[in-house]
Amino acid sequence: MIALLRIGLAALFLMVAVTVQTSVLSNIAVAGVTCDLVLIVVIALALSRGPEWGAIAGFSGGLLLDVVPPADHTAGRWALALAIAGYVAGLIRRETSAGPVGPLIVAATVVLGAALSLFIYCATGSLLHDPSVVWSEFGVRLGIAAGYDVVGAIVVIPLVMWVMGRVMAARERRRVLP
Amino acid sequence: MLKDLGTPARSAIRSAGTPLRSAGLPREIRRRRTVLVLVILACFTLIVLDARRSTGSPVDPLRQAAAGVFGPLESTASSARQPVDNLRDRFAEMDRLKAENEKLKSENDKLHQDLNTSDYARNRAAELDGLLKIAPSYTMTPARVIGIGSAQSFNHTVTIDTGTADGVHVDMTVLNGNGLVGRVVRTTQATATVLLIGDRNSTVGGRLNATMALGFVSGRGEVGGTLDYKLVDLKAQPKVGDRIVTWGSSGNAPYVPGVPIGVVTSVTANQGALGTTATVKPFVDPTRIDTVGVVTGPPARTPRSQIKPTTTAGKGN
Repeated sequence: MIALLRIGLAALFLMVAVTVQTSVLSNIAVAGVTCDLVLIVVIALALSRGPEWGAIAGFSGGLLLDVVPPADHTAGRWALALAIAGYVAGLIRRETSAGPVGPLIVAATVVLGAALSLFIYCATGSLLHDPSVVWSEFGVRLGIAAGYDVVGAIVVIPLVMWVMGRVMAARERRRVLP
Repeated sequence: MLKDLGTPARSAIRSAGTPLRSAGLPREIRRRRTVLVLVILACFTLIVLDARRSTGSPVDPLRQAAAGVFGPLESTASSARQPVDNLRDRFAEMDRLKAENEKLKSENDKLHQDLNTSDYARNRAAELDGLLKIAPSYTMTPARVIGIGSAQSFNHTVTIDTGTADGVHVDMTVLNGNGLVGRVVRTTQATATVLLIGDRNSTVGGRLNATMALGFVSGRGEVGGTLDYKLVDLKAQPKVGDRIVTWGSSGNAPYVPGVPIGVVTSVTANQGALGTTATVKPFVDPTRIDTVGVVTGPPARTPRSQIKPTTTAGKGN
């Protein structure tokens, strides 16, 4: 029951993130680069639930980015990129935290996730001979995206982690009671 | 929560130190790796399935379903941003826009006068009319942009809120009051995806207004939508300030003739080859498109009204 609720919440977060990223945030893009809200939500889920969740949430969120209009690239590219970024984010949480995750580590994770996902996305594009991938623009776009993502993460990650934490606390309570 | 966070880390360290490791990884790590491998395999399957576009992708039903769910969501979300936009306009951009508008109006009047008074230009316009036998004032379906692709995706695409239900189909021309926006590449019941002319996958046949020379306009994939223009005739020389209009495709798909594309801003000789490449600044700012028209009907009027600067200014915004 709680597990279902948690999955439902994660799905809701991802759907809201995809909608907001494509329709609202793209209107306040910096040099065309929008805040990767989906990536941030995936990282938040990975940080609160671990690598398996990161990988699956990344796959689902990336798949949405791949098929929801105005996407026009080969499906599966963002899915792969975000799945690996989510998995790595989950690993960082496992390795570093005996205590709660610190803000600096969260920021570093977001930057790493942005770099990793954008690199994988561009690399798969190059492999598929997609002419729209321009490696000369990669650095600039990554820089802007990483900065923007950290700003977005300041708002989104605490929110997602708090909600997921509440759900987890409820389960913990249930487990303790009997 | 703290306990839950701490336990796996400790168990991972413990297991790393014990000889048990050689016998096999702890269950949790094994499971997590299985999940990762499965997810990566799923991604590769998707990519391989979707990459061969010639035969129709099996991912298309998924795209249709996603557009069915997210189209209305995006539509709602972009209406929700309207108040924010209005507020921003009112407080920050009003003055700037007013000044810009004044400037553009006077500039347009001057250009209009130039165009009318110059015999050369008038002759060319008449010639253009003659050449473009089809007289295009197009039947258009208005649409609003409800989703914009991000620069991270390197795709210059937008979603609009009309679909097959409104008579919009693949390979229709999309334009706004300023000029050519792009063409429809995917449609669903209620949404359509438009490939902007600034995308690197986009090539449009363009005709120089001044000399009628034919060439191809291709996107550079830059955020500002800058375009490259290559002439078919290698000896022809585009000049800075020349305007480019579409020369149209057979059957008016994907591009109808006579739509303004942009103006030449610089001309460079090709390295190690004949001919020149012109840099073209599009009339349509790809970061500021909102209301667009999809050409859904046959043309009915002379193309001149499409090219004259006053008309383009009147239709814009």
